[in-house]
Amino acid sequence: MAEDVLCPFCGCLCDDIKIEVEDDRIVGVKRACKLGSSKIRGHERTKAPMVRRDGELVETTYEEAYDRAAKILKEAKRPLLYGWCSTVCETHKKGILLAEEVGGVIDSTATVCHGPSIIGIEEKGLAGSTLGQIKNRADLIVFWGANPAEAHPRHSMRYSSNSSGMFTPEGRKGRKVIVVDVRETRTAKNADKFLLIRPGTDYEVISALRMIVAGKGDLIPEKVAGVAKSDLEEAAGMMKTARFGALLFGLGMTHSRGRYKNVDNALSLVADLNGFTKFVVMAMRGHYNVAGFGQVCAWETGFPMSVDFSRGAPYFNPGETAACDLLARRETDAMLVVAADPVSNFPRNTVEGMAEIPVIQIDPFPNPTTLLSDVVIPSAVCGVEAEGTAYRMDGLSLRMKKVVSSPYPTDEEIMQNILDRVRRLGDDN
Amino acid sequence: MREIRVVPRRDFRVPVEAEKISPDIFTPLTIEEIEKIEVWEGNRKRALTDLFEISGDGDPAKPEEVLIKLEGNFSRVKRVGEKMTCGRIEALDDIGMHAGNGMAGGEIAIKGSAGDWLGREMRGGRITVLGDAGDYVGAGYRGENCGMRGGEILIEGSAGDYLGEHLCGGTITVLGNAGDFPGIANRGGVIVIGGDAHLPGAEMASGTITVRGRARVLPSYQYQETVEIDGLSLKKFLGDLVDNGKGELYAASVEDGGA
Amino acid sequence: MIIKGGFVYDPTNGVHGEEMDICIEGGKVVEKPRGGDEIDARGMLVMPGGVDAHAHIAGAKVNSGRIMRPEDARRGIEPRTKLLRPSTGYTVPNCYAMGYRYARLGYTCAFEAATPILESRHTHEELEEIPIVDKGALTLFGNNWEVLECVRDGDLDKLAAFVAWGLLASRGYGVKVVNPGGGEAWGFGGNVKGIDDPVPNFGVTPIEIIRNLMKANEILRLPHSAHLHTNNLGKPGNYETTLATLKAVEDISASRNRQVLHVTHMQFSAYGGTGWRDFESKAPEIADYFNRHDQFTMDMGQLIFGSATTMTADAPLEYGNARLLHAKWSNHDIELEESSGVVPLVYGRKMPINAIQWAIGLELALLTKNPWQFIMTTDHPNGGPFVNYPEVISLLMSRAKREEELASLHELASKRSSLPSIEREMDWNDIAIVTRAAPAKILGLPEKGHLGVGADGDVTIYDINPANVDPSKDHKKVKGALAKAKYTIKGGEVVVRDGEIVAVPQGRTYWVEASVPENQAAKVKADLVEKFAKYYSIQMSNYMVQDAYVTHPRVVKAGVI
Repeated sequence: MAEDVLCPFCGCLCDDIKIEVEDDRIVGVKRACKLGSSKIRGHERTKAPMVRRDGELVETTYEEAYDRAAKILKEAKRPLLYGWCSTVCETHKKGILLAEEVGGVIDSTATVCHGPSIIGIEEKGLAGSTLGQIKNRADLIVFWGANPAEAHPRHSMRYSSNSSGMFTPEGRKGRKVIVVDVRETRTAKNADKFLLIRPGTDYEVISALRMIVAGKGDLIPEKVAGVAKSDLEEAAGMMKTARFGALLFGLGMTHSRGRYKNVDNALSLVADLNGFTKFVVMAMRGHYNVAGFGQVCAWETGFPMSVDFSRGAPYFNPGETAACDLLARRETDAMLVVAADPVSNFPRNTVEGMAEIPVIQIDPFPNPTTLLSDVVIPSAVCGVEAEGTAYRMDGLSLRMKKVVSSPYPTDEEIMQNILDRVRRLGDDN
Repeated sequence: MREIRVVPRRDFRVPVEAEKISPDIFTPLTIEEIEKIEVWEGNRKRALTDLFEISGDGDPAKPEEVLIKLEGNFSRVKRVGEKMTCGRIEALDDIGMHAGNGMAGGEIAIKGSAGDWLGREMRGGRITVLGDAGDYVGAGYRGENCGMRGGEILIEGSAGDYLGEHLCGGTITVLGNAGDFPGIANRGGVIVIGGDAHLPGAEMASGTITVRGRARVLPSYQYQETVEIDGLSLKKFLGDLVDNGKGELYAASVEDGGA
Repeated sequence: MIIKGGFVYDPTNGVHGEEMDICIEGGKVVEKPRGGDEIDARGMLVMPGGVDAHAHIAGAKVNSGRIMRPEDARRGIEPRTKLLRPSTGYTVPNCYAMGYRYARLGYTCAFEAATPILESRHTHEELEEIPIVDKGALTLFGNNWEVLECVRDGDLDKLAAFVAWGLLASRGYGVKVVNPGGGEAWGFGGNVKGIDDPVPNFGVTPIEIIRNLMKANEILRLPHSAHLHTNNLGKPGNYETTLATLKAVEDISASRNRQVLHVTHMQFSAYGGTGWRDFESKAPEIADYFNRHDQFTMDMGQLIFGSATTMTADAPLEYGNARLLHAKWSNHDIELEESSGVVPLVYGRKMPINAIQWAIGLELALLTKNPWQFIMTTDHPNGGPFVNYPEVISLLMSRAKREEELASLHELASKRSSLPSIEREMDWNDIAIVTRAAPAKILGLPEKGHLGVGADGDVTIYDINPANVDPSKDHKKVKGALAKAKYTIKGGEVVVRDGEIVAVPQGRTYWVEASVPENQAAKVKADLVEKFAKYYSIQMSNYMVQDAYVTHPRVVKAGVI
């Protein structure tokens, strides 16, 4: 039985998973939620590297796949190196180095997830904490545009609504939960207060709350974006009188009209609340190591995502250098996808952009992105078949374990191989 | 007037960064020298003449007497006119992102439409656009407190989102609509929008925004009075009160923020 | 290699500008090498490689600073070369820039001032990416629940065992104490008001925490002493807290031949007045105390005008900064252990408070008689980025430069400090002490900061001739020469030549392995098992920093005999 294994699925990065191993195969998974358990047990794998010949993907050797990938990236004038969210930091480091050496643009899945949160943080900063601080102290949890009951199943129990700690021995009974969303989600059904807001009105609702918190509630109208002032006053009151409040937000905030401005305003709300009580804010990161990419990219390049190395020095400007920007504008002439599935998650016209260019995929599993790929390189599953570092949604780094062996090279090894071949293809510029 | 024409040799897919297409840079150079100027096409360093046909008056002149004419599709050519201090650039068609970045003087006249970040961090000079402009007109760089500090931008068509984000000075006029959050976090400057806008002046500390069409106004703005300016009846608001802002917002017609 | 004929300043070994050769072999200073390259250092200044004893260079809060400041990253951009990765940033440089810039200044060793145990893996990931310099990190203990409980229960032996465990868990080098008790109070938005103010929910006072950690430090015979960021840092009138703290620990003896307590970035803790209106310097009082008590040392925390990013484990202070300045603010509480804050700001010459703060740092340096009790720092990037060290050095060496600067500042700098009347000018010997010899001794690094036989082969050659340059008049030359080393040699390898990086070796990471009696270790383990079961959000087995994160360790042994 492998103990205290880290789950390689979501930003909760639960590290108490037990995995039963027999004859170097996984036969049982305990404690993980359905999402994590399914990933750990594994499903259909890409059996061998493939390259597209005459329109068809045919099996080939790793050597040929590396050669093809290196050539595509080296020849490209604006290659995009994308993904990174489901692999370890050691892979990210190689990816950033490769992007530098081929003069490309590197970006992570934050671009379709919490990228706006990062931009909000660049405006206002983030008043945060580790998840354990919330568990031990928070008597008020606010979920805004987040539905952990479905997206982060063990979050409530381990870290938030239903957790208990030093100053929160009563667990759920000792705290209040507010949910703000555009529909009544499963998480909302278990809230003490549910604020139903109309889609695209997060910014206005937050401004109204800030006015009430600042004691200027009499200046705002009786209804804000369909929400009654009395409801807002009740919510603001709960926030101000909490001993320790935590605002956890998700894609509902980052993806609705306003995008990073919604997050920006929420960060301001939390800063305002700190004038009255203790309050922290946290982005509910999706994939288990998208936060890790942001950390590695920041310490290596100074910027957390969307970094353009075309001219030899990092240039950062999401809206111009983010993956979706490049694809939507048809600016990029080659793409490497590592540990992500953009074809499933990107807006349609960016996927159409992918169809026009050579795509290299490095992933253990086939997925819709495989269908558009010209080179497919299967790898070991990080956290199950390969070890390495990952960062939880609160920025805490932990080491993923290798539980069983596999015949596949690791993402890190694959990246190194491509890097070696790119270097052999010679210098230019 | 020394006139220099720059014509793309082909359509670009990968964007071209041409911050050296600027009167300040062209001025002291002969045509042959201009042709050798470095530009970037994605990650490839090129000479200007590799990508563009350069023609025109050969003699070096004073910068304020230089006119650079951009003929053809410049929609993927970025940073034209960056940091220019004088002279004139005319784009007969569309132009790419960051046109007039950090401009301090002179004029850029765009007959087509402009890409995002037009006049970013501008300090002086004048930009006019006959067509539309993208997002972040006259805005700043991520994380900075101030974007545009001076100068004038006039857009005859419509503009995208975040017009004048972090505006600290200067004037931006859009005859058509502006998108979401024009004038967000601004600390000065004047914005005039001929058409509609969504949630103008969020976090405004000071400055003036006029929406001559319809605006959805934030709940943190306080109605003051109705005034008449240029024959148009405008509702005047003070805000953004979340941060004790003292900006002025004028709107001809107000969308019901309660709904 | 032989470094020939330079003017050598090696205060540890009593060498004060003698023209002599320095020989290096096998990465160490030797009497006579068997061969190797010759470097002609005649007419130039030769010193041991610089040692930065306190800077925020790696870890979660540094990266928070980067993430929230793309506008800082876009300054100081240098593109990649065949040898070098790209550099970005001014106050929060990327990891590569950190290493390159230290090396260009002639520094070969730098210590991260504060790493929280739970997030030390991150600290080491970043330290691993900083090229060239040797490094280490000081581990935070002053707000840790296990520490507070040991203090409450008066269990000094268990506390020592926990400190040993914490150093192992974090691969840390020493005991760092920041606003003790205040970080825990911040968990519910509070702070402590003074050294006798009890910490809510734990019932211990900051001075008890300080005394106990100091004693535990000495029980373990750690190479460095406890390293303190005082309570009430940054507040007008806080010099009283500083002096009260020192007086309250005068009775504690060091277990080694070194100070018993190092107080860091003292500039921020030397304030008089009752508010910002009557804010003034109390540097003379602080310096006077140090002049009469040689068991204490301090570092400067000098202000540099322009952009800075404050980042510290004193989270309530940062919140206060942000409110005062209407600045963006990041905060990060770490369960059971610490908290931190990051706030960007700009220090202005015409801002009265900043002008006085600038004067205070210099006063402290110049009024402390014994340079061995003093280290020059800017508390990078709190006071300002370390690339400005040559500016500080030239100010210390030239009264004329100080007068020029004072004339350009708000007049209160002159009125509320004693700086205008200070005539002292440091000489090269003093500078070699406060930037090399003293930090090495204070940190307890016997092979650093000097050029005696057996020292690490870390040498800097500056292109300035002490025989014919008067630092008092030619302060511009001093600053220019110190900004770009003629040669920086690390472990016997030339890494900088004419201010350019020519080699990028990986430095080593110091950490301390302290042994304790088995029964004490067992008591600590039992406490931790309970804490992990009930309070931590991760499993105990996943907590410690693993070997993979410290690939070039330099382990120093210590412990209870």
